[in-house]
Amino acid sequence: MLRYTLSRLLRAVLTIAAVVTFAFVVLRLSGDPALLIMSVDAPPEAVEAFRKSWGLDQPVWVQYLRYFVQVAHGDFGQSMRDGRPALELVMERVPATLALTLPAFALKLLLGIPAGIYAALHRNRLADRLTMVVSVAGFTVPSFVLALLLVLVFAVNLGWLPSGGAESWRHAILPVITLGLAGAAVLARFTRSAMLEVLGQPYIRAASAKGLTWRRVVTDHALPNAAIPTVTIVGFMVGSLVAGAVVVESVFSWPGVGRLLVVAVANRDLAIVQTILLVIAATMVCANLVVDMLYGWIDPRLRTTRAAEA
Amino acid sequence: MASDIVAPISLPVPAARTKGAIRRFLEAWPPMVLLGLFWIGLMLTVALLADLITPYSYTALDLRGRLLPPVFMDGSWRHVLGSDELGRDVLSRLVVSIRMSVLIAFGATIISATLGTSLGLLAAHFRGRVEQVVLALVDFQASMPFMIIALSVLAFFGNALPLFIALMGLNGWERYTRIARGLTIAANEQGYANAVRQLGAGPSRIYGLHVLPNIASTLIVTMTLTFPEIILLESGLSFLGLGVQPPMTSLGNMVGYGREYITRAPWIMLTPATVIVLTTLSISLVGDWLRDRLDPTLR
Repeated sequence: MLRYTLSRLLRAVLTIAAVVTFAFVVLRLSGDPALLIMSVDAPPEAVEAFRKSWGLDQPVWVQYLRYFVQVAHGDFGQSMRDGRPALELVMERVPATLALTLPAFALKLLLGIPAGIYAALHRNRLADRLTMVVSVAGFTVPSFVLALLLVLVFAVNLGWLPSGGAESWRHAILPVITLGLAGAAVLARFTRSAMLEVLGQPYIRAASAKGLTWRRVVTDHALPNAAIPTVTIVGFMVGSLVAGAVVVESVFSWPGVGRLLVVAVANRDLAIVQTILLVIAATMVCANLVVDMLYGWIDPRLRTTRAAEA
Repeated sequence: MASDIVAPISLPVPAARTKGAIRRFLEAWPPMVLLGLFWIGLMLTVALLADLITPYSYTALDLRGRLLPPVFMDGSWRHVLGSDELGRDVLSRLVVSIRMSVLIAFGATIISATLGTSLGLLAAHFRGRVEQVVLALVDFQASMPFMIIALSVLAFFGNALPLFIALMGLNGWERYTRIARGLTIAANEQGYANAVRQLGAGPSRIYGLHVLPNIASTLIVTMTLTFPEIILLESGLSFLGLGVQPPMTSLGNMVGYGREYITRAPWIMLTPATVIVLTTLSISLVGDWLRDRLDPTLR
């Protein structure tokens, strides 16, 4: 188990390094930072002095290493708009984003997994067909369309809920539903097929044949095995949740990281964009790490065989 | 007498045969798939004939006819799908937007399929270190939400249409790489690839003429699965104002601008939104059906 954990940790560190490299490369490719920050007609001596003071006259690999050291110290540069440290600006938006994404994540799991299991256990019945129709709709309707439809119905026509802003918990209802529904549909579809595959296995027949009640067969034999592929998709959901937050926060003018990212991209505030990129990468890597750990816990086979391969 | 007996027996036979033929036809071509194919065909026709179909120029203003409702909401036939806040014809804008979105999705799908498949073939051919690098890239791409990568690239490089299409083409290449690599490694073990190699064919001939045609069906199915994703991604970015830039217009763009008028003129937003949903739905349905027909192993 220790070896398994270590190999996963190593991979996590490598992914972070790759993202930092990616940020460095696009940052350098996008133009000379000296010319970006100083005006076009700045005297050449000033530009030279600027390059020197920021180490831009050094060879690229020195700059690259320096960039790594800076990032490791939590120095992500300043926002070009108001000069405040980028990390600070991003971090103050994190709670607002979590306030949307955590309930949405819970909603996804609580709706998607039971719906998928129920559909699989009642295959080809009305409930199954309905779940499948809803889940197809779930990934063909883009989140911004779903968001606007919810606004149209619940804010404009019925007037029950506010259409945007973040003054009270009621403002969070529509964004959370938007974020949660789309993912729940995908999860339901996935859980259903994982469950169906497990139910077709010989050990399920063996379990029923030895006289277990159907309930015990499902809870003791089918569910734990169907959990393995489902956990993977839940790990991927963190990514779609982050991407979804970008759109949903913009539609509902929710003051989170996603909204900040869209504004920063529109203003080309590179320090902010870069910081958000790295924060999201770190989140994704942690999520994948948790998923990998969960794997080892759910599926004991992985602790020994896979770790030796990896 | 004999004819009395023969006639009733001989009659139902052709009837049963036609019934069977219809049923067989419907089993091979389910109605939903036919509808999906019809819609995709319609979208392609609209995209190709955009200039002939549009009743007005998509940028033509009509300041006296602003926010006119469409025909089905008691509007006039002057603007069949209504007009927007500047009096521009929604139908004309929709047609031009469809062309733009189809163009981007096609361009991006071709880029991503070509790039991904080539990398997969390279990995399978060289194995060893090349393969490790390719797989590390695949892992990296799969571990970050592509929307975030796309947003950062747009922030760093600004936005121009060719760059935007190329960027959309980076979406989902890793899936082609995974599939192409796996299938090519398997194909290299098989008799036919070995036979051609023994005959003295070079790598480009083996992969281009023999391996690729054999794994093409799986790759085509993957294309139909990533195509709607690209449409959703493009429309999402354009909706946020970070994709296709005005005066050009795309479906997501129209929804984004129509959102301001959601209370007074919901049709500006609802028409392009409906087109997006129907298109992605159709391609998904057709893709699922193709997958079941061409490639049962992908399930």
